[in-house]
Amino acid sequence: MSEWMNRTEKLIGSLRVQLTGEAHSLSVYRFLVNDIMELNGFHCDGEGCAEEKEEEPPALMLPRSKTETPCSLIATPGADSEAAGGSALREQRVSKSTPVMLRLDSLKKNRPPFPWFGMDIGGTLVKLVYFEPKDITAEEEQEEVESLKSIRRYLTSHTAYGKTGIRDVHLELSDLILWGRKGNLHFIRFPTHELPAFLLMGRDKHFSSLHTTLCATGGGAFKYEDDFRTMANLQLLKLDELDCLIKGVMYIYSVVSSGPPECYYFEHPTDPERCEQKAYNLEDPYPLLLVNIGSGVSILAVYSKDNYKRVTGTSLGGGTFLGLCCLLTGCSTFEEALAMATEGESTCVDKLVRDIYGGDYERFGLPGWAVASSFGNMICKEKRDSVSKEDLARATLVTITNNIGSITRMCALNENIERVVFVGNFLRVNTLSMKLLSYALDYWSKGQLKALFLRHEGYFGAVGALLELPNPS
Amino acid sequence: MKLRRCSRKPAFPWFGMDIGGTLVKLVYFEPKDITEEEELEEVENLKSIRRYLTSNTAYGKTGVRDVHLELHNLTICGRTGNLHFIRFPTAAMHRFIQMGRDKHFSSLHTTLCATGGGAYKFENDFRTMADLELLKLDELDCLIQGLLYIDSVGFNDHPECYYFENPSDTQNCIKEPCCLDNLFPMLLVNIGSGVSILAVYTKDNYKRVTGTSLGGGTFLGLCCLLTGCETFEEALEMASKGDSTNVDKLVKDIYGGDYQRFGLQGSAVASSFGHMMSKEKRDSISKEDLARATLVTITNNIGSIARMCAVNEKIERVVFVGNFLRINTVSTKLLAYAMDFWSKGQLRALFLEHEGYFGAVGAFLDLLKSADDT
Repeated sequence: MSEWMNRTEKLIGSLRVQLTGEAHSLSVYRFLVNDIMELNGFHCDGEGCAEEKEEEPPALMLPRSKTETPCSLIATPGADSEAAGGSALREQRVSKSTPVMLRLDSLKKNRPPFPWFGMDIGGTLVKLVYFEPKDITAEEEQEEVESLKSIRRYLTSHTAYGKTGIRDVHLELSDLILWGRKGNLHFIRFPTHELPAFLLMGRDKHFSSLHTTLCATGGGAFKYEDDFRTMANLQLLKLDELDCLIKGVMYIYSVVSSGPPECYYFEHPTDPERCEQKAYNLEDPYPLLLVNIGSGVSILAVYSKDNYKRVTGTSLGGGTFLGLCCLLTGCSTFEEALAMATEGESTCVDKLVRDIYGGDYERFGLPGWAVASSFGNMICKEKRDSVSKEDLARATLVTITNNIGSITRMCALNENIERVVFVGNFLRVNTLSMKLLSYALDYWSKGQLKALFLRHEGYFGAVGALLELPNPS
Repeated sequence: MKLRRCSRKPAFPWFGMDIGGTLVKLVYFEPKDITEEEELEEVENLKSIRRYLTSNTAYGKTGVRDVHLELHNLTICGRTGNLHFIRFPTAAMHRFIQMGRDKHFSSLHTTLCATGGGAYKFENDFRTMADLELLKLDELDCLIQGLLYIDSVGFNDHPECYYFENPSDTQNCIKEPCCLDNLFPMLLVNIGSGVSILAVYTKDNYKRVTGTSLGGGTFLGLCCLLTGCETFEEALEMASKGDSTNVDKLVKDIYGGDYQRFGLQGSAVASSFGHMMSKEKRDSISKEDLARATLVTITNNIGSIARMCAVNEKIERVVFVGNFLRINTVSTKLLAYAMDFWSKGQLRALFLEHEGYFGAVGAFLDLLKSADDT
């Protein structure tokens, strides 16, 4: 049975890809699913089938433990109609004869062997999530191979790896239940240019003897696929980065139940005295505009768990900020660039509306303090000689951030979506940009749009990859 | 050629001025139908202004008359003459005002039609330094009126408007004239120091859809900082020789090829300047590469935003104007390509020969209109 489920899942998955991932009407999906199910001997009462709100979980779902599945996946009594009937494919109901035990059986059969990793190989950073089991029995411990033990010890007893690897301890999720096991979820990152060193380490630790499949997403999953194979004898299960991003966001949001809230926003972002971070309830998340700011930017309109489209993107992202800063100020790291930006003043670098109009451009509601031309004052040698590196860093940050905010606002307007969630490592330790985005979105939309942020920022892709572990290709 | 009827003509000289963030654009009407009688009556300073403007193509160190844009034998308001197009940096504004004072301009003409932000910013300076009263006009109103007028009179019997045939072939794409017969609706993208994007439905019905602060001023400002160049022409010269792919991180640098799932070709830029976080790469690129990357980044960003607006406003014609495009074929071709490619042929980029002068023309027209008001 589980084999059938996997086959059907794959077929539907590939059909979805062929439909180019754009949002499509539910009826299209319903049609496809009914067709496929009938081919496999399942009978559906046509329209009536899809409409019924069943108590039992749908047959097409991945086997998961009830306790850690995101709430939107399970048809619980009183689940909102959008989650139950609005999501595509996976929510299709079949006849009542679908056995519930089936799921628990396949849970045991499909639970992947340790170690459990998810990897997102981006343009600048590799994000790694690692599940550390804390419920290992004495028996299990005895059977455990040495390399597995050593990997676990290495990862959990350090917070820094080599010169550039970092474990973000403050993001660790403790006592998580995943596929029937209890443990901690760790969040690790290192620069993508250190991947060869990582592969060598994987080889030296005989990772391939443990686990020949590694779930990976991001462009690097495609670019480095061969290197993984030749250098470390590891086969990558390649996953789409935006699919993983969304899965990861929904999952993390659902499991963070204690400690600081996952989703937050800024109240009074431009008032240093009154500005504060406040929790935001994302339980009813759809529709959502998801803006992923990594090296570059992707903007997604998410209508439901399985129904989203990539609206657009921009190449002026985190990589642009860091690249320009390195050139203009001589800094070498993201942290340095941010530190300089914090000290600088962008208004000497940018040409403001008031520099051109002498005040506001009232006719079109442009206040004098708005930037008319980023870096516009730098056409003048005198001004170039009078600004500091910190000013340049600040202007670069403000320019990139405001451009993203502006494009985001246009998308939100066109897609008719009011909630915007910003993720991605450009926002890591970057409260300046977060506040700027909060203010800009609020101001230019006259209060219609709200900028939201998530604590696990750039790790969602990796989490989404981890979640695919039980589905080997 | 459209004739404009005026019952009362304003006194010469006829000027229109657009004081922008970086450049001042000036249009000057030189009458060629002056009768002997009129010439006898003409005051000396008016004659001197006319001679000064028409016998020079450069003024001081930074003023330039774009002779190739001159409109010959234009008949407007019952007079026939040439329309001249002059520009100088806004930074030289005070010198210009002093010149106006020295030539006793105020004795001739106490009203000067001016648009652009500087019409507001320098209003007092005109009054106190040269005793000149500015008639302030909105820059976007003037832009549209100026554009429509020039398009209607044509460019010395040539079309004002053009586009690129086969824009994806940047080496061989051909510049083709085009008729703006069905002008409306159009998306008008004005790329000056900054950018304004307007949806124009009819002659009198338009809205400012949005804008972006990453415009021509950003290109020049960043280039000056990154390469040490000082002028727009130098920056463009460097850009024409450079290779931006050494500076930008492309999709193929991240994916090893195309990002097929979402139709992103390997050659598309994923992260502008994305390679510059690596010291090795910083040491290996040239100033020309940096200039090119700056140009490409700014141009593509404008193209992307323009495309989004066109889609939202459901407009297929996108007209690009403004002095960022002056002698800037790299950007015009890039914009033509981007509009065509990303819209799968739905959108078309159009360009106009008089680029950045439409605001000044619009102000000039207002001078004649105000004389018409009885």
